[in-house]
Amino acid sequence: MEAKTSNRIEPNFHKDTKVTRNKKIPQKLGMYSILMIFLIISIFPFYWMFIGATNDSGKMFTNPPTLTPGDQFMKNFQNLNESINIPQVMFNSLFVSLIYVVAALAVCSLAAYAFAKYEFKGRNFIFTAFLLSMMIPYQATLIPLFRMMSELNLLNTYFAVIAPQLCYPFAIFLLRQNFLAFPTELIEAARLDGAGELKIFLQVVAPSMRPALAAASIFLFMTQWNSFMWPLVVLNDASMYTFPVALSSLMGLSYIDYGQVMMGVSIATIPIIIFFLILQKQFISGMLGSAVK
Amino acid sequence: MKKVKVMSLISIVLIISMLAACSGGSSEKTSKDDKKLTAWAWNINVPVLEAAAERFKKENPGFELEVIEIGREDVYSKLTTGLQAGGQGLPDIVLVEDDRIQGYAESYPKAFLDLSKYGFDEHKDKFPASKTDLLTVNNKVVGFPFDGGPTGVFYRSDIFEEAGVKAEDIQTWDQFVEAGKAIKEKTGKPMLGLDLNNDDGLYRMMMNQQGSLYFDEKDELTLSSQESMNAAKVIKQLKDEGLVKNTVGWDAWISAMVSGEVATAPSGAWLTGSITGQGKDTSGKWGVIPFPAFEEGGNRASNLGGSNYVIMNSTDKKQEAYDFLEFFSTDEETQLEAMKGGLFPTLNTIYDEPIFTEKQEFFSGQPIWSTFTAQMDSIPSVNYTGNYSLAMDESIKAQSESVSGKKTMKEAYKAAEKRLENRIK
Repeated sequence: MEAKTSNRIEPNFHKDTKVTRNKKIPQKLGMYSILMIFLIISIFPFYWMFIGATNDSGKMFTNPPTLTPGDQFMKNFQNLNESINIPQVMFNSLFVSLIYVVAALAVCSLAAYAFAKYEFKGRNFIFTAFLLSMMIPYQATLIPLFRMMSELNLLNTYFAVIAPQLCYPFAIFLLRQNFLAFPTELIEAARLDGAGELKIFLQVVAPSMRPALAAASIFLFMTQWNSFMWPLVVLNDASMYTFPVALSSLMGLSYIDYGQVMMGVSIATIPIIIFFLILQKQFISGMLGSAVK
Repeated sequence: MKKVKVMSLISIVLIISMLAACSGGSSEKTSKDDKKLTAWAWNINVPVLEAAAERFKKENPGFELEVIEIGREDVYSKLTTGLQAGGQGLPDIVLVEDDRIQGYAESYPKAFLDLSKYGFDEHKDKFPASKTDLLTVNNKVVGFPFDGGPTGVFYRSDIFEEAGVKAEDIQTWDQFVEAGKAIKEKTGKPMLGLDLNNDDGLYRMMMNQQGSLYFDEKDELTLSSQESMNAAKVIKQLKDEGLVKNTVGWDAWISAMVSGEVATAPSGAWLTGSITGQGKDTSGKWGVIPFPAFEEGGNRASNLGGSNYVIMNSTDKKQEAYDFLEFFSTDEETQLEAMKGGLFPTLNTIYDEPIFTEKQEFFSGQPIWSTFTAQMDSIPSVNYTGNYSLAMDESIKAQSESVSGKKTMKEAYKAAEKRLENRIK
């Protein structure tokens, strides 16, 4: 997903397609057959997931493998709903992820803007420190964080799931690189016209940075949606579980109902697809509507 | 200005939601549900606990148990985090497997309640010695025995029939290898699936069978011991004769079994639950024989897997938790229910129930449970210790090197023992 996102921001994307359009038919044919192979490779896991979700658990282990959709869709859905209460889990995951995206985007974009466009003492030092913090393995912060949450009596709350990652160094880095490209003259012009700093950011800078903000949102959404270890450790109640934690609770020692698991995974991918489709528009509009007139 | 309004609206929503989330949190819970016990367990154990709690409630009104379903590996992540943080955020009761419990009890000596102080000793003879020995760490009883994994060789009776090999005739590992050769010759199918580079389950069962594991009772390393060489030799033989299908991971292993690509699976009794669940259309094509011995007339009992219930020392409801688990562990109805879920109870007072001698349709009419109960008292007690996972890591490396022929078997295990010695220090 990440790779796709960055590809889309590349302005060369359009030029490339034009070049290929002019090539000769055999070349095109070769090109498309290679693309087809990659398409099949990338689609197959999703197809397999769908096969698993519509078949009985044991069907995943037959030889030759079952490659056609089965008729167990409703049964798997009902079983899964009995095991993990799908609406509740979906709500938890969406609630946590959406709040996180909005809050983290606010924090990260403002931080990135400051790093890119304000001159202040120690700017580079702080920024480097931020980047270096990406190298701290998550496991190292797990226990101190857990202790902190426990002492603040915040265990088993949505807040505890959302808060620790609000300031996300990679998102700050990504946004800063984009903000750097924004012409400083425009900011100065707005300042001369008497606009406040927040107004400049919200009305002058942010609108033209939509593609970058959308890319960061998708990244943040996926990070939180797929986040497993921290929610697992900090949540103590099945009614608070997010999707990855709830799905992991289906894993037993000797028997795993793959019909249920695959159904769960299928459902869990839908919001990511929707989120991506919604924000895709932002890329395009961002690319077409330029800021400098 | 619209944007500014939107932003401020969003921040207000955020603040409210966070405040709401805080107030609805755990602080309220502890005061409200004073008498409620919480337990962490996985999968099939959850309904068993819940049903037992219902029965316990009848005689103890006001008793309340909340079971939180957590994945098996995930329980350990949470337990370790909680213990590392000094016993914070832990429940009252946790399910812990045989191969993990000594490690926890050694690394965190104050983690689990010492049950002998609460009178567990009166129940000791209701469980096999291998289990109660396992749960006695530094003279403390750290958990209630629950299920066990007496071993056997699960086999596909259809494949054996096709090859004209009689499974009941397999008494020793040598005969097992011979049978494998005959089956390979007649049907072209390998004898068993093994994940030679990632798992050493068969090696562990063979070690346990000989009364040993990675460490002997004096905590000395055993990777290069005679027992270890016996086990490694059979595994290498199987591999060299082409009787092993390399199955990477649990799913591939179980799938090879269920789809009839391999003829046998030496494993714990709990495998019954997996194959009856995963291979519904293979009913009647299965059988179980006891574990082969290393020499004629040798010990054929061993163990793989099993789990136990512990009470966390951090709970303030120790007596309540003990009373419930005492009921749970010794209640025959509960244990029989666990059996329906594919768990093999270690409570020996139920072994005279009819189910243990009943013929099982799935296993070609064989009364398989009696095969397992027969060996319960002969399972040797072994020493897991806190360094179990490090030792397993080295053992797997040695196994991989030994079967690939990179080193001779002896060299591979000697080198692994040396590495392990350094890692433990």
